[in-house]
Amino acid sequence: MRLSKPLMRRTFLMAAAVSPLLMAAPALAVPNVAESFVDENIHKGLDILKDKRLDSVQRRDQFEGLLLSLVDVRRIALFTLGQYRRSASPDDVEAFVAAFKNYATAEYQSYFSKYTNQTLKVMGSTEVKPTDFIVQTQLMDSSSNQPPAEVDFRVRTDTGKPVLVDVAYQGIWLSLEQRDQFVSFLGQNNGNLRSLVAHLSDLAVNMGKPTQ
Amino acid sequence: MRGFRGLFWGIAGLVLCQALAGCATTPPSAEALANNDPYEQTNRDTLKLNGKIDKYFVIPTVGVYFLLVPEPGRRGVHNFLGNVSLPTIFVNDMLQGEVSRAGNSMWRLVINSTLGLGGFLDPASKMGIPGHGEDFGQTLAVWGVDEGPYLILPFLGPSNPRDATGLAVDVAMDPTNQIHFKQHIWWDGGRIYFTLLDLRGQTYQTIQGIQRSSVDYYSSLRSLYRQMRAQEIRNGRAPGRDLPDF
Repeated sequence: MRLSKPLMRRTFLMAAAVSPLLMAAPALAVPNVAESFVDENIHKGLDILKDKRLDSVQRRDQFEGLLLSLVDVRRIALFTLGQYRRSASPDDVEAFVAAFKNYATAEYQSYFSKYTNQTLKVMGSTEVKPTDFIVQTQLMDSSSNQPPAEVDFRVRTDTGKPVLVDVAYQGIWLSLEQRDQFVSFLGQNNGNLRSLVAHLSDLAVNMGKPTQ
Repeated sequence: MRGFRGLFWGIAGLVLCQALAGCATTPPSAEALANNDPYEQTNRDTLKLNGKIDKYFVIPTVGVYFLLVPEPGRRGVHNFLGNVSLPTIFVNDMLQGEVSRAGNSMWRLVINSTLGLGGFLDPASKMGIPGHGEDFGQTLAVWGVDEGPYLILPFLGPSNPRDATGLAVDVAMDPTNQIHFKQHIWWDGGRIYFTLLDLRGQTYQTIQGIQRSSVDYYSSLRSLYRQMRAQEIRNGRAPGRDLPDF
């Protein structure tokens, strides 16, 4: 059945009025996706790290499983290579990504295990660009007089699902620091990526050992 | 005053020596120049020297300090040292046009010096007046002075010509140096000594963690120092646009 002209005009006007809201809704919702992503998953990670029922191997395996589902390890690894990514062979790059995965897991676990007695509160987020967000949080220790620590999480959504690409503690971004030291190391070692891979593997093992 | 005037020229001398030593070594690599670190080799050597001083003198001294002084006492020392720095922080707040922060600094000085028993307690924080740091190096940055090349100063650690100049100016303008009786060497020496113990005690675990997880501790420290200073100069978080793309 064809609509009459007045009804068609009214229908068109209603659709035109509603469509900006429909178009706006996803843009409004995306920052909350990043915030929800951080809120839910960082708490999961902290819960694993403070679960006394787990032994150290179980804790490491569960934390690694969670971390690898949240973090775009490959993207971070390639970022930390800086200009050396272009000159490295594909095999060396893959070996580096694998070594970086183990190193990053050990480093994140070591990092977050210091804060298992603290609570994390999401304070808000900033859009860097439509698929790039910084979620601001505070880590609070209710048993201490220390002011809360500012921890930021950088979340990308350009692959369709949110992934973590960086974390900052009191304004210091971890991936930036990793890139600076890896590029410096490679500069001192004639761009020898295999040497860096060996070094990262040793560090990953050492970080897994109890501190003295 | 004489003691701290000496410290002012001492810091200036350290910076000059570091720069001259850098000139005497092999030319900097392209990597070093790209990192604004033309004296990298000299800096690395100085970091090794500082590491030896840290290992054989500072850390054992901090260990004794932690053994002899319980945590409430150490917190009192930390609060007192922070309180004594407030006049300098206040001046730098004003020089940067940060009137609200200057007000916080002033109130913290008044409240902690009186209700805080000379600064050993920190009632101002409990009243919702948070502390913050400022120094003349940050003031110079706010005024548009570039940081200059990265430096590792003997004993003092990571710096650059701007921040080292700022430190020297802060020392020179510290009002506690203008009061006659405080020229006594025990005040000068004691303040430096306890500042060292307090700072090293607070950063011990952090530095140990960095050393344990670094592929290259020197460049890791350089990156951390620069990011930390940028955060301090901004008085807050980095805008997202300043971050590199992944």
